[in-house]
Amino acid sequence: MDSQKVDMYLMTNAKYFQGQHLNYIREKLLAADDSKWGMLQTADLKDPTTSILVSVFAGSLGIDRFIIGDTGLGVGKLVTCGGFGIWYLIDLFLIMDATKAKNMEKIQMFL
Amino acid sequence: MTRNRLYLFLFLALLAGYGYLFYMFNVNIHEHSYNVCLFKNVTGIACPSCGVTRSVVSLLHGHLKEAVLLNPLGLITAVIMAVVPFWLFYDVVLKKDSLYKTYQKTETLLKKKQVAIPLITLVLINWIWNIYKGL
Repeated sequence: MDSQKVDMYLMTNAKYFQGQHLNYIREKLLAADDSKWGMLQTADLKDPTTSILVSVFAGSLGIDRFIIGDTGLGVGKLVTCGGFGIWYLIDLFLIMDATKAKNMEKIQMFL
Repeated sequence: MTRNRLYLFLFLALLAGYGYLFYMFNVNIHEHSYNVCLFKNVTGIACPSCGVTRSVVSLLHGHLKEAVLLNPLGLITAVIMAVVPFWLFYDVVLKKDSLYKTYQKTETLLKKKQVAIPLITLVLINWIWNIYKGL
Protein backbone atom coordinates (compact mmCIF):
# COMPACT_ATOMS: atom_id res chain seq x y z
CA MET A 1 0.00 0.00 0.00
CA ASP A 2 1.18 3.45 -0.67
CA SER A 3 2.72 5.22 2.30
CA GLN A 4 0.53 8.30 2.10
CA LYS A 5 -2.57 6.16 2.43
CA VAL A 6 -1.11 4.22 5.34
CA ASP A 7 -0.09 7.35 7.18
CA MET A 8 -3.53 8.84 6.68
CA TYR A 9 -5.11 5.70 8.04
CA LEU A 10 -2.84 5.72 11.07
CA MET A 11 -3.42 9.40 11.74
CA THR A 12 -7.18 9.06 11.78
CA ASN A 13 -7.20 5.75 13.67
CA ALA A 14 -4.26 6.07 16.06
CA LYS A 15 -6.52 6.40 19.09
CA TYR A 16 -7.99 2.95 18.46
CA PHE A 17 -4.71 1.13 18.94
CA GLN A 18 -2.03 0.72 21.57
CA GLY A 19 0.99 2.91 20.99
CA GLN A 20 3.41 0.03 20.83
CA HIS A 21 1.43 -1.56 17.98
CA LEU A 22 1.35 1.45 15.69
CA ASN A 23 4.71 0.81 14.14
CA TYR A 24 3.89 -2.82 13.54
CA ILE A 25 0.59 -1.91 11.89
CA ARG A 26 2.35 0.64 9.70
CA GLU A 27 4.93 -1.84 8.50
CA LYS A 28 2.33 -4.50 7.85
CA LEU A 29 0.10 -2.09 5.96
CA LEU A 30 2.97 -0.86 3.79
CA ALA A 31 3.70 -4.45 2.85
CA ALA A 32 0.03 -5.30 2.34
CA ASP A 33 -1.81 -5.47 -0.92
CA ASP A 34 -4.04 -2.56 -2.04
CA SER A 35 -7.09 -4.83 -2.07
CA LYS A 36 -7.00 -4.94 1.76
CA TRP A 37 -7.82 -1.25 1.96
CA GLY A 38 -11.56 -1.72 1.53
CA MET A 39 -11.76 -4.43 4.14
CA LEU A 40 -9.66 -2.38 6.52
CA GLN A 41 -12.21 0.41 6.30
CA THR A 42 -15.06 -1.93 7.18
CA ALA A 43 -13.40 -3.21 10.37
CA ASP A 44 -15.71 -2.24 13.21
CA LEU A 45 -13.32 -0.48 15.58
CA LYS A 46 -14.56 0.51 19.03
CA ASP A 47 -13.68 3.82 20.61
CA PRO A 48 -11.79 3.41 23.92
CA THR A 49 -13.34 6.64 25.23
CA THR A 50 -16.82 5.24 24.73
CA SER A 51 -15.91 2.05 26.52
CA ILE A 52 -14.52 3.86 29.56
CA LEU A 53 -17.73 5.89 29.79
CA VAL A 54 -19.86 2.77 29.49
CA SER A 55 -17.61 1.14 32.07
CA VAL A 56 -18.21 3.94 34.54
CA PHE A 57 -21.98 4.01 34.14
CA ALA A 58 -22.94 0.45 33.26
CA GLY A 59 -19.81 -1.46 34.19
CA SER A 60 -21.41 -3.32 37.06
CA LEU A 61 -23.81 -4.90 34.58
CA GLY A 62 -20.91 -5.93 32.34
CA ILE A 63 -22.13 -3.89 29.39
CA ASP A 64 -18.64 -2.50 28.72
CA ARG A 65 -17.38 -6.05 28.17
CA PHE A 66 -20.31 -6.91 25.91
CA ILE A 67 -19.67 -3.84 23.79
CA ILE A 68 -16.05 -4.61 23.04
CA GLY A 69 -16.95 -8.20 22.19
CA ASP A 70 -15.85 -10.03 25.34
CA THR A 71 -19.24 -11.67 25.66
CA GLY A 72 -18.06 -14.41 28.00
CA LEU A 73 -16.54 -11.97 30.46
CA GLY A 74 -19.61 -9.77 30.10
CA VAL A 75 -21.86 -12.58 31.26
CA GLY A 76 -19.50 -13.25 34.15
CA LYS A 77 -19.59 -9.62 35.15
CA LEU A 78 -23.37 -9.43 34.87
CA VAL A 79 -24.00 -12.51 36.98
CA THR A 80 -21.68 -11.34 39.76
CA CYS A 81 -22.83 -7.70 39.97
CA GLY A 82 -19.59 -6.50 38.40
CA GLY A 83 -17.47 -9.02 40.30
CA PHE A 84 -18.82 -7.72 43.64
CA GLY A 85 -17.67 -4.25 42.66
CA ILE A 86 -14.01 -5.27 42.64
CA TRP A 87 -13.89 -6.27 39.01
CA TYR A 88 -15.87 -3.13 38.21
CA LEU A 89 -13.09 -1.02 39.73
CA ILE A 90 -10.32 -3.02 38.05
CA ASP A 91 -12.06 -2.74 34.68
CA LEU A 92 -12.14 1.05 34.93
CA PHE A 93 -8.39 0.84 34.50
CA LEU A 94 -8.24 -2.10 32.10
CA ILE A 95 -11.09 -1.41 29.72
CA MET A 96 -9.34 1.14 27.48
CA ASP A 97 -6.41 -1.16 26.86
CA ALA A 98 -8.76 -4.11 26.43
CA THR A 99 -10.67 -2.17 23.79
CA LYS A 100 -7.48 -1.31 21.96
CA ALA A 101 -6.32 -4.92 22.10
CA LYS A 102 -9.68 -6.06 20.69
CA ASN A 103 -9.37 -3.53 17.85
CA MET A 104 -5.93 -4.91 17.12
CA GLU A 105 -7.39 -8.42 16.95
CA LYS A 106 -10.01 -7.19 14.52
CA ILE A 107 -7.59 -5.69 12.02
CA GLN A 108 -5.04 -8.45 12.53
CA MET A 109 -6.86 -10.66 10.06
CA PHE A 110 -6.48 -8.06 7.31
CA LEU A 111 -2.78 -7.47 7.86
CA MET B 1 -7.93 -13.86 25.35
CA THR B 2 -5.53 -16.76 25.23
CA ARG B 3 -6.20 -20.21 26.71
CA ASN B 4 -3.88 -19.80 29.67
CA ARG B 5 -5.23 -16.39 30.60
CA LEU B 6 -8.79 -17.65 30.50
CA TYR B 7 -7.92 -20.64 32.65
CA LEU B 8 -6.06 -18.53 35.19
CA PHE B 9 -8.96 -16.11 35.27
CA LEU B 10 -11.50 -18.89 35.72
CA PHE B 11 -9.40 -20.45 38.47
CA LEU B 12 -9.20 -17.18 40.40
CA ALA B 13 -12.89 -16.47 39.84
CA LEU B 14 -13.85 -19.92 41.09
CA LEU B 15 -11.60 -19.53 44.12
CA ALA B 16 -13.19 -16.20 44.98
CA GLY B 17 -16.67 -17.54 44.24
CA TYR B 18 -16.31 -20.62 46.41
CA GLY B 19 -14.68 -18.62 49.19
CA TYR B 20 -17.56 -16.15 49.19
CA LEU B 21 -20.12 -18.94 48.97
CA PHE B 22 -18.51 -20.81 51.86
CA TYR B 23 -18.60 -17.65 53.96
CA MET B 24 -22.23 -16.94 53.04
CA PHE B 25 -23.22 -20.55 53.66
CA ASN B 26 -22.05 -20.30 57.25
CA VAL B 27 -23.71 -17.03 58.21
CA ASN B 28 -27.45 -16.61 58.20
CA ILE B 29 -27.89 -15.06 54.80
CA HIS B 30 -31.31 -13.53 55.35
CA GLU B 31 -30.31 -11.71 58.49
CA HIS B 32 -27.08 -10.01 57.66
CA SER B 33 -27.36 -6.56 56.17
CA TYR B 34 -23.96 -6.12 54.56
CA ASN B 35 -24.22 -5.81 50.81
CA VAL B 36 -21.45 -6.25 48.24
CA CYS B 37 -23.44 -5.06 45.23
CA LEU B 38 -22.09 -1.70 44.09
CA PHE B 39 -25.14 -1.01 41.95
CA LYS B 40 -27.55 -1.60 44.81
CA ASN B 41 -25.47 0.42 47.24
CA VAL B 42 -25.38 3.38 44.87
CA THR B 43 -28.88 3.40 43.42
CA GLY B 44 -30.84 1.60 46.12
CA ILE B 45 -32.59 -0.68 43.65
CA ALA B 46 -31.66 -4.28 42.92
CA CYS B 47 -29.37 -5.12 39.99
CA PRO B 48 -30.11 -7.96 37.52
CA SER B 49 -28.05 -10.39 39.54
CA CYS B 50 -29.06 -9.44 43.06
CA GLY B 51 -30.12 -12.56 44.89
CA VAL B 52 -27.84 -14.95 43.04
CA THR B 53 -25.89 -15.81 46.19
CA ARG B 54 -29.09 -16.35 48.17
CA SER B 55 -30.39 -18.46 45.30
CA VAL B 56 -27.28 -20.67 45.21
CA VAL B 57 -27.30 -21.01 48.99
CA SER B 58 -30.95 -22.11 49.05
CA LEU B 59 -30.16 -24.53 46.24
CA LEU B 60 -27.41 -25.99 48.42
CA HIS B 61 -30.00 -26.40 51.16
CA GLY B 62 -32.11 -28.30 48.65
CA HIS B 63 -34.84 -25.71 48.12
CA LEU B 64 -35.06 -25.65 44.34
CA LYS B 65 -38.32 -23.71 44.17
CA GLU B 66 -37.08 -21.03 46.53
CA ALA B 67 -33.88 -20.75 44.48
CA VAL B 68 -35.79 -20.17 41.24
CA LEU B 69 -38.11 -17.67 42.87
CA LEU B 70 -35.18 -15.70 44.29
CA ASN B 71 -33.29 -15.39 41.05
CA PRO B 72 -33.24 -17.88 38.13
CA LEU B 73 -29.72 -16.71 37.26
CA GLY B 74 -28.63 -18.53 40.42
CA LEU B 75 -29.27 -21.86 38.70
CA ILE B 76 -26.98 -20.93 35.80
CA THR B 77 -24.32 -19.77 38.24
CA ALA B 78 -24.65 -22.98 40.26
CA VAL B 79 -24.27 -25.12 37.13
CA ILE B 80 -21.21 -23.14 36.00
CA MET B 81 -19.65 -23.36 39.46
CA ALA B 82 -20.30 -27.11 39.60
CA VAL B 83 -19.09 -28.00 36.10
CA VAL B 84 -16.19 -25.65 35.38
CA PRO B 85 -13.77 -26.86 38.12
CA PHE B 86 -13.83 -30.44 36.80
CA TRP B 87 -13.58 -29.28 33.20
CA LEU B 88 -10.71 -26.97 34.07
CA PHE B 89 -8.92 -29.75 35.92
CA TYR B 90 -9.43 -32.15 33.02
CA ASP B 91 -8.07 -29.66 30.50
CA VAL B 92 -5.08 -28.63 32.59
CA VAL B 93 -4.04 -32.19 33.48
CA LEU B 94 -4.42 -33.57 29.97
CA LYS B 95 -3.11 -30.33 28.37
CA LYS B 96 -6.21 -29.92 26.22
CA ASP B 97 -8.23 -26.87 25.30
CA SER B 98 -11.80 -28.17 25.09
CA LEU B 99 -13.07 -25.62 27.64
CA TYR B 100 -11.39 -22.78 25.76
CA LYS B 101 -12.91 -23.95 22.46
CA THR B 102 -16.35 -24.18 24.05
CA TYR B 103 -15.94 -20.74 25.56
CA GLN B 104 -15.11 -19.26 22.17
CA LYS B 105 -18.02 -21.06 20.50
CA THR B 106 -20.41 -19.82 23.16
CA GLU B 107 -19.14 -16.28 22.67
CA THR B 108 -19.78 -16.44 18.93
CA LEU B 109 -23.22 -17.90 19.54
CA LEU B 110 -24.12 -15.20 22.05
CA LYS B 111 -23.10 -12.49 19.61
CA LYS B 112 -25.72 -13.59 17.09
CA LYS B 113 -28.73 -11.29 17.06
CA GLN B 114 -31.27 -14.12 17.15
CA VAL B 115 -29.73 -15.36 20.40
CA ALA B 116 -28.67 -12.08 21.96
CA ILE B 117 -31.98 -10.20 21.75
CA PRO B 118 -34.13 -12.88 23.48
CA LEU B 119 -31.49 -13.27 26.18
CA ILE B 120 -31.26 -9.52 26.79
CA THR B 121 -35.06 -9.41 27.03
CA LEU B 122 -35.03 -12.25 29.55
CA VAL B 123 -32.39 -10.51 31.66
CA LEU B 124 -34.42 -7.29 31.58
CA ILE B 125 -37.62 -9.10 32.59
CA ASN B 126 -35.69 -10.81 35.36
CA TRP B 127 -34.36 -7.43 36.45
CA ILE B 128 -37.86 -5.95 36.61
CA TRP B 129 -38.94 -8.97 38.62
CA ASN B 130 -35.96 -8.44 40.95
CA ILE B 131 -36.93 -4.83 41.59
CA TYR B 132 -40.54 -5.88 42.08
CA LYS B 133 -39.47 -8.50 44.61
CA GLY B 134 -37.33 -5.91 46.37
CA LEU B 135 -34.23 -8.10 46.64
